[in-house]
Amino acid sequence: MNIIEIRNLSKIYDEKTVPVYALNGVDLAFKEGEFTCIVGPSGSGKTTMLNMLGGLDSPSAGGIRIGDTDITSLRSRQLIDFRLRNIGFVFQSFNLIPVLTAKENVEFIMQMQGIKKDQRDKRTMELLNAVGLADKVNTRPGKLSGGQQQRVAVARALASKPRFILADEPTANLDSKSAENLLEIMEKLNREENITFIFSTHDARVVAKARRVVTLEDGRIVADVSKN
Amino acid sequence: MSDLRLAWRNIWRNKRRTLLTAASIFLAVFLALIVRSLQTGLFDNLIQISIQSYTGHIQIHKKGYWDDRTIDNTIVYNDSLTAVVNRLKNVEITVPRLEYFALASSGMQTKGVIIIGTDPVKEDSLTRLSSKMVKGLYLDRTGRGVIVAGGLAEFLGLHTGDTLILIGQGFHGVSAAGKFSVRGIIHLPSPPLDNQVVYMNLPTAQDFFSADNRISSLSISLKKPDDIGMTMGELTSAVNLSKFEVMSWDQLMVEIMQQLKVKTASGMIIISILYLIVGFGIFGTVIMMTNERTKEFGVMVSVGMQKSRLAMILVLEMVFIGLTGALSGLAAALPIMAWYNFHPIKLWGAMAQAYLSYGIEPLLPLALKWGFILSNFTAVMVIVLLTCIFPVRRVFKLKVVEALHK
Ligand SMILES: Nc1ncnc2c1ncn2[C@@H]1O[C@H](COP(=O)(O)OP(=O)(O)OP(=O)(O)O)[C@@H](O)[C@H]1O
Ligand SMILES: [Mg+2]
Repeated sequence: MNIIEIRNLSKIYDEKTVPVYALNGVDLAFKEGEFTCIVGPSGSGKTTMLNMLGGLDSPSAGGIRIGDTDITSLRSRQLIDFRLRNIGFVFQSFNLIPVLTAKENVEFIMQMQGIKKDQRDKRTMELLNAVGLADKVNTRPGKLSGGQQQRVAVARALASKPRFILADEPTANLDSKSAENLLEIMEKLNREENITFIFSTHDARVVAKARRVVTLEDGRIVADVSKN
Repeated sequence: MSDLRLAWRNIWRNKRRTLLTAASIFLAVFLALIVRSLQTGLFDNLIQISIQSYTGHIQIHKKGYWDDRTIDNTIVYNDSLTAVVNRLKNVEITVPRLEYFALASSGMQTKGVIIIGTDPVKEDSLTRLSSKMVKGLYLDRTGRGVIVAGGLAEFLGLHTGDTLILIGQGFHGVSAAGKFSVRGIIHLPSPPLDNQVVYMNLPTAQDFFSADNRISSLSISLKKPDDIGMTMGELTSAVNLSKFEVMSWDQLMVEIMQQLKVKTASGMIIISILYLIVGFGIFGTVIMMTNERTKEFGVMVSVGMQKSRLAMILVLEMVFIGLTGALSGLAAALPIMAWYNFHPIKLWGAMAQAYLSYGIEPLLPLALKWGFILSNFTAVMVIVLLTCIFPVRRVFKLKVVEALHK
């Protein structure tokens, strides 16, 4: 069963002046438990596609179905709520709320979902444990390294028990060791907990970890390779 | 982590800026309160002086008297009127007066004067008139001797024991003329009055004006001035309003009240300018706070925070800064206001002299009234909330993808 289906997706920027076809009729589907990497040269449309998948931007044409929901038909408030309950995000940088500790950053999402305190506490600790940051619970992002911050971001993305996690170049600002460490954690979560990850990267070593690699060029899919 | 705590932490991200903004609010609130307290204290005092030196809290006249103030518009001073007034619990003193114009002459000089016929004892208990005597004796109940205000006496070249000739028109056009011996000289603090007032006892004035038993006003002073509304109500329902008019001190002092209002308004304009400047300062803070966090807002909305909630947090942040400033301003001003309310400022120099000549201690208590404290506080918070329009609009217009790009 596909958890995400993209049909004939197009995104045209600056339609009225000099149109840029960032995505050009993309058809794509993702299954539960995937560990998929989107690659392609700069400007090929990776960020654009992840933004559409995450419901952060609306397509010029085509549809996106997540579970039973056609997210392109949701109104703004509904879409925000949909993101809260279904999608986890890891951004390239400055992911976290600077005035909240690692624990509070993770807990925050569950609080917005209305989960009770004792449950929140339990899950937060589990998640920070899973990303290897049990000792940084009460540290604020400013005092964490870039790699540690990204791991907190992964924990936060997982907190809401989303259907899948989107990560646009999560390792771009990390040194190679931290990047490798982050990928290992993601991979472990994918393997052991069947968490679905869709991420983009320019880093060949990150690509190597992926089990499916989708290649974009000029807003079109030019390759879609699964290794098993 | 409640939204309140999140907002509170956010404002301390830039300690200096928050403290600076709060300090500017503090200063504005502090200054505004002290200025308003001084001004209100001074004006209340002036009103108090007017009440105590002449008008009393309430006056009863013949209906229409206050518009032309003629001798024909007078009322009969009889038991039924005093009974009505004295029945009211809040009434302390009543002073019957008959006032009208006449010509005074002595030797070669002639001048228009105001004759005030009054009950010497009651007058003294309301206005302490006798304490303003500079020469001779105060009025007595029965004699025909008059007391003349200092400036007038000087103009007419009068001394105690001299004779003053008064000529005028009495009740219903009867001509009035008489010779009166000057019993004493009195100093009245208000120059216009000092140049034209002649006091005599009520029967003498009634006789002079052929207005037997008539008075132009009955001044009433109250035990509890704050309950004037109630007493006014009781009075207006007790007297026949087709014959009488009942006026409170603020209606009697329309001109003074008008002047005080103008002065209050100019004070308010200065305070408003102060608030405007502070408002722009707050606005600057709000703009910086919003602009430098656009990306963070993008992240928050991306991961599922509703814009309304985010906007609420930003408003809370500004409210916290506003409250910090306003409450500390209040906390600093209140003790000062309270202290000088209970221990009034001792006036000196000309101001003190003026007070003393009214027979009033030269003390100026600062006003301590919830009215202006609350209105200043509200004004600041309204300004703060107005500046929030900017971040709130920003949040609602936020395009997540663009914000993340910042
Ligand atoms: N907001 C925008 N307005 C106009 N054009 C845009 C906008 N965002 C992206 N584009 C254009 O759309 C195309 C795809 O951009 P996108 O950011 O999706 O590429 P990408 O694959 O993520 O690149 P990179 O590897 O550099 O991150 C590019 O040509 C880009 O210039
Ligand atoms: Mg990109």
